[in-house]
Amino acid sequence: MKRRLRIAGLALALFAVHARAADGIVLEPETDHVDITTTYSGTDVRIHGAIDVAADLIIKITGPAQEVTLSREVQRGPFWIGGGKAEVSGAPSLVYLYATKPIASLLPPAERARHGLELEAVELSIEPQAGGISEDRWRRAFFRLKEREGMYREDDRAIRITRGRLVMSDINLPAEIEFGTYRIEALLVRGGKVIGRDAGQFEVRQVGIGRWVWGAAHLHAWLFGVVCTLAAMVLGFGLNAATHRRR
Amino acid sequence: MELFLPIAHMDVNIALILAYGAVVGFLSGLVGVGGGFLITPLLIFTGIPPIVAVSSGATQMAGTAAGASYIQWTHGNIDFRMALVLLAGSWLGGGFGVVLANALVRGGDFGNVVIFLYVVLLGFVGLSMLVESLGAILRARAPARPAPARHGPLERLARSIVSRLPFQTEFRVSGVRMSVLVPLVLGAFVGMLTSLMGVGGGFIMVPIMIYLLRMPTRIAVGTSMFQLLFTTAAVSIMQAGVNHAVDPFLAATLILGSIVGTSSGARLGARLPGEKLRLILALVVVGVAIKMVMTLVIPPAELYEMSTKLP
Repeated sequence: MKRRLRIAGLALALFAVHARAADGIVLEPETDHVDITTTYSGTDVRIHGAIDVAADLIIKITGPAQEVTLSREVQRGPFWIGGGKAEVSGAPSLVYLYATKPIASLLPPAERARHGLELEAVELSIEPQAGGISEDRWRRAFFRLKEREGMYREDDRAIRITRGRLVMSDINLPAEIEFGTYRIEALLVRGGKVIGRDAGQFEVRQVGIGRWVWGAAHLHAWLFGVVCTLAAMVLGFGLNAATHRRR
Repeated sequence: MELFLPIAHMDVNIALILAYGAVVGFLSGLVGVGGGFLITPLLIFTGIPPIVAVSSGATQMAGTAAGASYIQWTHGNIDFRMALVLLAGSWLGGGFGVVLANALVRGGDFGNVVIFLYVVLLGFVGLSMLVESLGAILRARAPARPAPARHGPLERLARSIVSRLPFQTEFRVSGVRMSVLVPLVLGAFVGMLTSLMGVGGGFIMVPIMIYLLRMPTRIAVGTSMFQLLFTTAAVSIMQAGVNHAVDPFLAATLILGSIVGTSSGARLGARLPGEKLRLILALVVVGVAIKMVMTLVIPPAELYEMSTKLP
């Protein structure tokens, strides 16, 4: 494991040097943060950029990691009942692979794997809790569900290049969103090779009363629970008493 | 109009949540059930993470129950003495249920066993109520024939044992006299069930009060509501403390919606005769049982399900 890590690190360093030598793309999201207020219901983050050679482009957007519980139903006689659980950790909440053409037609498999351009090869760890099915089946289920939700997706029409130079793309952030750092990685591709790269990022953060509520719920959980419950009781009692008396 | 929920990390349609609240409030006001069996699946169906749905549902119920209890109190429908005894029982039973659940989980297959037992119990209670209330309604239409007194030998034996228990007490509001131990044990049974199943248990408690404790239907509904106030408040506080899963925005929206439902439900309940109220409750209980059976027998479209853990 250690050795593999070291090799991966070395590859990454070589890649970085190589990439710096062969830039050719600059790219920047229009904002470095997305504020989630109480009226948030999904938004677009626009990316602007420029390339200095005629080439294809791949933009990978990776959301912060999240923990997910998978569960499964099994048939026993005529009944469908709970048949196992698995914890998935370290998987990005969202992975978008935007490109100017289908990625499979731009890069050979080895290159795609090296640059992490395969949705179903995203790194994650799976811990089956019960159910006796293989890790691999949980993994496939995870990717299938993520893709069905649209949180993991490939889109070969999401990048617009105008006049051969100017790059524009909209990242559609869903309404159900994980807070944290979203990383953007752009790869310039020609002749089955990556010839340039650039990276950027933006933060998704909760602001205003939502942030305050979230903070209170986590920092003073019990006090928060007591206050919320009492407030709910006062609200229910007060409103009912008010509407009732009028009659 | 959309509202982003800070704890659930997603946006919801305010009108939809208000409507959910109204429906559940109506049922609460009418037949004294908490409605957790209804609100939790509705919220999960909307995409709210299950743990947030359960927890915020409990917070909402504490609010709705506070309002509904007030209305029931103005109608003189709460037997406070009975409520306190049942409550003491249900807390004892609830504590025991948590321990039992832990032991059973370690044994495996716990969830499935409980669900089956629950479906059987619900079906039995619901169908018996249905038969009884329909019979009562039919008899009321033909008043010439007096209701036959059917006391089987088992029931007579049970009654003679119960009447000899110590701590005989007069429950004046309910108009019954019995040993404190009876409601205490029944409360403990419901409490145990609630902590095993994670539901409020109003729809088991009300039938028990009506049929086993022989309380008038209206008093049973009011007393159940008052009792639920404490049960749900305790669950709400625990869920916030342990799981950080109470979303105040969600709960407040549900409560606002429930206000409309509760007062109209309680007003309708005050006008309906006891047997019709029992019929409605029976239909609710049978409905819940059928819903649970359906989830058991209908093949799911997707075998796997994914739920995000709250950070």
